[in-house]
Amino acid sequence: MSIWNYVVTAHKPTNVTHSCVGNFTGPQELNLIIAKCTRIEIHLLTPQGLQPMLDVPIYGRIATLELFRPHGEAQDLLFIATERYKFCVLQWDPEAAEVITRAMGDVSDRIGRPTDNGQIGIIDPDCRLIGLHLYDGLFKVIPFDNKGQLKEAFNIRLEELQVLDIKFLYGCPRPTIIVLYQDNKDARHVKTYEVALKDKDFVEGPWSQNNLDNGADLLIPVPPPLCGVLIIGEETIVYCSASAFKAIPIRPSITRAYGRVDADGSRYLLGDHAGLLHLLVITHEKEKVTGLKIELLGETSIASTISYLDNAFVYVGSSYGDSQLIKLNLHPDAKGSYVEVLERYVNLGPIVDFCVVDLERQGQGQVVTCSGAYKDGSLRIVRNGIGINEQASVELQGIKGMWSLRAATDDPYDTFLVVSFISETRILAMNLEDELEETEIEGFCSQVQTLFCHDAMYNQLVQVTSSSVRLISSTSRELQNEWNAPSGYSINVATANATQVLLATGGGHLVYLEIGDGILTEVKHAQLEYEVSCLDMNPIGENPNYSQLAAVGMWTDISVRLFSIPDMNLVTKENLGGEIIPRSVLLCSFEGISYLLCALGDGHLLNFLLNMSTGDLAIAKEGELTIGTIDDIQKLHIRSIPLGEHARRICHQEQTRTFAICSLKYNQSNSEEAEMHFIRLLDDQTFDFISTYPLDQYEYGCSILSCSFSDDFNVYYCVGTAYVMPEENEPSKGRILVFLVEDQKLQLIAEKETKGAVYSLNAFNGKLLAAINQKIQLYKWMLRDDGTHELQSECGHHGHILALYVQTRGDFIVVGDLMKSISLLIYKHEEGAIEERARDYNANWMSAVEILDDDIYLGAENNFNLFTVRKNSDGATDEERGRLEVVGEYHLGEFINRFRHGSLVMRLLDSDVGQIPTVIFGTVNGVIGVIASLPNEQYLFFEKLQSNLRKVIKGVGGLSHEQWRSFYNEKKTVDAKNFLDGDLIESFLDLGRIRMEEISKAMGASVEELMKRVEELTRLH
Amino acid sequence: MGSLLGDWPSFDPHNFSQLRPSDPSNPSKMTPVTYHPTHDRTIPPPNQVISSEAKNILLRHFYQRAEDKLRPKRAASELLTPEHRGKHPRASTSASNTPPC
Repeated sequence: MSIWNYVVTAHKPTNVTHSCVGNFTGPQELNLIIAKCTRIEIHLLTPQGLQPMLDVPIYGRIATLELFRPHGEAQDLLFIATERYKFCVLQWDPEAAEVITRAMGDVSDRIGRPTDNGQIGIIDPDCRLIGLHLYDGLFKVIPFDNKGQLKEAFNIRLEELQVLDIKFLYGCPRPTIIVLYQDNKDARHVKTYEVALKDKDFVEGPWSQNNLDNGADLLIPVPPPLCGVLIIGEETIVYCSASAFKAIPIRPSITRAYGRVDADGSRYLLGDHAGLLHLLVITHEKEKVTGLKIELLGETSIASTISYLDNAFVYVGSSYGDSQLIKLNLHPDAKGSYVEVLERYVNLGPIVDFCVVDLERQGQGQVVTCSGAYKDGSLRIVRNGIGINEQASVELQGIKGMWSLRAATDDPYDTFLVVSFISETRILAMNLEDELEETEIEGFCSQVQTLFCHDAMYNQLVQVTSSSVRLISSTSRELQNEWNAPSGYSINVATANATQVLLATGGGHLVYLEIGDGILTEVKHAQLEYEVSCLDMNPIGENPNYSQLAAVGMWTDISVRLFSIPDMNLVTKENLGGEIIPRSVLLCSFEGISYLLCALGDGHLLNFLLNMSTGDLAIAKEGELTIGTIDDIQKLHIRSIPLGEHARRICHQEQTRTFAICSLKYNQSNSEEAEMHFIRLLDDQTFDFISTYPLDQYEYGCSILSCSFSDDFNVYYCVGTAYVMPEENEPSKGRILVFLVEDQKLQLIAEKETKGAVYSLNAFNGKLLAAINQKIQLYKWMLRDDGTHELQSECGHHGHILALYVQTRGDFIVVGDLMKSISLLIYKHEEGAIEERARDYNANWMSAVEILDDDIYLGAENNFNLFTVRKNSDGATDEERGRLEVVGEYHLGEFINRFRHGSLVMRLLDSDVGQIPTVIFGTVNGVIGVIASLPNEQYLFFEKLQSNLRKVIKGVGGLSHEQWRSFYNEKKTVDAKNFLDGDLIESFLDLGRIRMEEISKAMGASVEELMKRVEELTRLH
Repeated sequence: MGSLLGDWPSFDPHNFSQLRPSDPSNPSKMTPVTYHPTHDRTIPPPNQVISSEAKNILLRHFYQRAEDKLRPKRAASELLTPEHRGKHPRASTSASNTPPC
């Protein structure tokens, strides 16, 4: 039974919806803060560029993000409002490096019609109040008192019902808003109101302006000294104030985002729907506005937000393509562009469709998404694995060891790369052109293998070979001092840090040296009973240059030992058991906890906790030692295939090693035929277009499928289309096209006209099942007398509003309807008929459906919820059997466009997680997620863990996790059930030891067991 | 064009001065650490947990009007003020004539 589901994010949202710049983490620090729907990211501006500081999950979908500074504050506060009517004011505590909540609250009203044009949240520039427009006809005010504290919120009646934008005006004695609205004759106007806080009412404002551009959609308030407002239309831009009115015509465009450049508000960056970036300048003489100027700067991703950063650098956040860091140059490049793109930040959103394939045939799924929109459309190949960027490479064979060294102790970067071979040592260095070239350090012995190298104090380098320890000056590059192994003994293993050297020779001799300025001193010698296999002396104590502890791995008795330094007394010994020798030991500390790691010859890694608190060092005997195999580092690797057009459906065909996509291209220059739709065939290795079938004018590709039919060995691509006529509300005509790939070309084999849009196509019992407007229709593949084939209608089922999403299993058909949730149909072979078996009577507006197993079906709907329904075959009455019972509900906070069975990771069938069925989903915000159906025992265990984690991991801004995950739509809010939040559960692994122990106590399970079980889940994605 | 472009604002002239642009075909892979607060200051002081006024906007309007009507009877000296004030509820009166949504 797939009732108990675990939902986890494999790829976080990347759609950038908001951004702002200010001094959030410190008065002298400039931060870029960006919102990616349910997360905010805090970046710091540095000489090296944008430095990511923190990724902060928010338990809500962010509707408003604003930095502001109340009077008397040294740094900015962050105001966030969520779509579910919560808000919070966050502050950075630099000492604790924590985000703290200054204020929070609920601004929902019990009655009220949510605004159609989205929520508006604005802060008075003089910090007298926060204004919110959440419901038609109401303006909510949260006043500040004179100490910057928030007071009880209240509503003011707003006469304008079709509000397009509201902003606060600068430089007004009383807080004043400007409202851009549309009247009932579709004309657009602006009007100003003063907010009378005491009377809780509006007072008619100082001015208004009627009959603006019909496309006016955006207000930009202009700060002092100029004040007033810019009204951005589709054909004109207007500057307006009580005393001035200036307008300029612009090339028709829809402005999607703006960013203020100068503090005095004289220049603005405007980003339009086509990704063009303009500079808008208010020309003025002293404080009098004389006119407007606009200049095209160049092209970026289609911007959803623009933030001027510093020194001509600008952040362009995008919902439709990758976000960018750009620089505004003084002079145009060869193409006439003043924009230079310096950095790209991946955005998979919107994921409109995707498929799961195994291109390399390695048993590991890869996801190929239709990502982005308009000109920024692309395919993205997402797979698990580490991505390493090759910076430089040299061909060398037989490398035995490699170390990086610095040219001087204080250098920030390493300069040298020492590469050791069996009978020589060579040194490489990055030259000024960033190329790797061979160099020489005279003091190094280069005719032998190097056992160990390290930087040492006083600008020195240490090289250990089998016969000696050499101390070399890194400035003069000459040998300073040498320690020779006693004759007859050769050095087998060695380690060093900035001030110490430890080495072992044959016969179990352990020698400890200290490094001085130009001198090596033998301090201590110890004789062990067996040969030494590995050593480490990494300083993890207070002194970063000196270790009081050495770890030694032994042959023969297979043990690791700890010695105190410099006296070389045995502190403790741990027998590892087994016959595999320790090959490498390492003293290290993670998050303030010290560990001894020990790697064995068979790939096992053992870790020991070190107790360093008492001064004597001992291996803490807490619990059993943990033995685990190291997983490969798993990280999603993303390859981009820019298309320059918008791919909307994708399908893979194994037999021909091709992909087929439905795409549309926007033609900006020619307004007559603005859109062109294509079916394109792509090679599945190169992703080149190898064949194209253009669709008719107004014809959209709606669905695509690779399938074969009964009594026909060929594999076809079937495409469902719709003729979208401007005058029709719903398409009344469409086509099903059947293609064969021959000689790498799409050959149209058959075509069938339909009476509506073909929203979905499925292979079904050797036939083709199509969802066409209100109907589910089954087609047979018939051989005609002339040897050609045709699609012939067999039977159908009416009774949907729009049958948008269809999945099948055996003879069962699950339909996701536009607004009537999920229904279950059955195909009856004998009668040749499709009948409804059961339905969910809730009014969910579906966005995707999938079949989890025979009885459980999964749905996603347009309020960002997930739910599961169960077929009730054992019901006593027809009425009961005819009802799909809702068994699981969960608020995901993401709009899912597609579910697909499959997995992003290699699934080993012998492991526990290998048995867990998973479904992958893709969302508008670029999230790739996994829904895993857990066995009941596991589900109950993790449900308990989740409720314990809720007590320990707090919601940022005081937002509640329980409320966030509750199923929510206009009609009801109910607690989540039978879904678990994997993101919360897996964050257990990020907790400090103390918090883990807290949870361990509450769970009645050891920390190690909890970690092991959570780590297992992380292997699902 | 030169006059419009240039003279870009600078908060700290060092910012971006040492930026090494990455290969544009390789997107930035820098990912920040995910924040999981375990401290108690995610909850603000009690007086900063904000809620909305419980009184319905329409009721508030009635009460306000009732108060305004009462006021002139108290003292003649206040007459000027209510008369002056009498003007702006009118805007809301017309607003309240539109059906509540």
